[in-house]
Amino acid sequence: MFEIFQYQFMANAILAGVVIAILASVSGSFMVLRRYSLMTETLAHSALVGVALGIISGLSPLWMAVGVALISAWSIEYLRSFYNLYSDAVLAIFLSASLALAVIIVSLAGAFNSSLFSYLFGSILSVTTDDVLLIVGFGSVAMTLLGYYHRELYFIAFDEEVAQVSGIPVKGLNFMMVSIVAVIIALSIQIVGTLLIGALMVMPTVAALRFRQGFGKTVLLAVLFALLSVFAGMILSFYLSLPSGATIVLCILSIFMISLAVNRR
Amino acid sequence: MIFEPSVFDVKSLSYIINNQEILKPLSLIVRKGEYCAIIGPNGGGKTTLMRLLLGLEKPTSGEIKLFGKAIKDFREWSKIGYVPQRAVQIDTNFPATAYEVVQMGLTASRSDKEQEKIQLAMKKMDVTHLKDKLIGELSGGQRQRVMIARALASSPEVLILDEPNTGVDIKSQHRFYELLRKLNLHEKMTILFITHDVGVIADDIGRLFTVNQSLLTCNNPKEAMSCEAMSKLYGIEAHAIHNHHHHH
Repeated sequence: MFEIFQYQFMANAILAGVVIAILASVSGSFMVLRRYSLMTETLAHSALVGVALGIISGLSPLWMAVGVALISAWSIEYLRSFYNLYSDAVLAIFLSASLALAVIIVSLAGAFNSSLFSYLFGSILSVTTDDVLLIVGFGSVAMTLLGYYHRELYFIAFDEEVAQVSGIPVKGLNFMMVSIVAVIIALSIQIVGTLLIGALMVMPTVAALRFRQGFGKTVLLAVLFALLSVFAGMILSFYLSLPSGATIVLCILSIFMISLAVNRR
Repeated sequence: MIFEPSVFDVKSLSYIINNQEILKPLSLIVRKGEYCAIIGPNGGGKTTLMRLLLGLEKPTSGEIKLFGKAIKDFREWSKIGYVPQRAVQIDTNFPATAYEVVQMGLTASRSDKEQEKIQLAMKKMDVTHLKDKLIGELSGGQRQRVMIARALASSPEVLILDEPNTGVDIKSQHRFYELLRKLNLHEKMTILFITHDVGVIADDIGRLFTVNQSLLTCNNPKEAMSCEAMSKLYGIEAHAIHNHHHHH
């Protein structure tokens, strides 16, 4: 059973997975409560544009993904706050435009290959020690910011207007929040894949909400669910030779379905 | 006669959006310790006026001073407690206990002795026993009291309430008016109350602002509530209905 920890790549993947599970579920809880779940999906597709640019240019796909996801997050937030456009419509536009752009870049370069496939669906084999350092480094910064501002972000999620009247810098914190989410998504794509990371951000919180607790307990439950599914998903994907991202998502889906069944109303 | 310092000082304030004049230039002063109500028909601009006072909208022209400071330089937002209209219609699935909601009121100030302040506000609103209940499990009246406890947590000097009784039963409403009267009398809290139902509190309030695109009257409530003034405000014939159940 414990043989999998003897492989360096598995040790890397599990360490990265633990950090990502915590980050994705904590930041995801704020996104879900703000009705911003689709944002995670959209930024994941933007990150794919970065990956495509990285693959054809020979630069680090991970860094390129972080850059493009950030630019995309800021553009979305800017359009939402200053142009008064419908949030979900803006997200839908960015989602399909990003995917179209990524596909064009990749096909122009003739780079539809297994490396791209691993970014789409996650591949724990591709996680290097450098990647782990990057994930842990960025992860600590993101976690510190989320920890320090969690009460402000919670208030904004509950009632943005009252939060603003009470003197909280709502616009600045919104920009911070989407930036953190953009970085987390870009860092997660090697483990979970661009097409699946949205699930890891959204489903743990939605499952935890079924237990009808206050905010503190809900976030703890969400983190627990995310950790459980990342562990189980990685172990299953190792032994059954399945793509890690898809396996993790099916694990969290099972937890979600159990929480639906347990908390019928 | 010595005047108390002003809480809101508004000069020639107007608001135009999409070429539609929501508020014609109006001026008003609310002084410390006053209990005022703003009434007017829906779409008459009373909510817009309140949003302008809170800095949630930018006026087309005119100036607003809060506690003597131009609104753009005003930073002491903890002096203002705001209870929005949505108090009763919040998302019932939101994971928040009554305690967590009241705690939100102290988020911006990050003050010490936070627990004591939360407990005090909850005690004042008689919601201490509900502290671990989810906000979605509370009745309309209880939820309203939790929202007011949140506004009171930062010990504000002024309380602004926007139609706070929407969806609240009559008994809770009376309890609520009683509380506002106490806050105003005993704690000298300035209260600005936006409502369409001024009858019940007519005896409590010091001044009544009637708003229908412009400020029509700001006299004492009895005068403003004469049938003639009401007809002018709402554009229909009005009859006085007296509240016999409300005596002092």
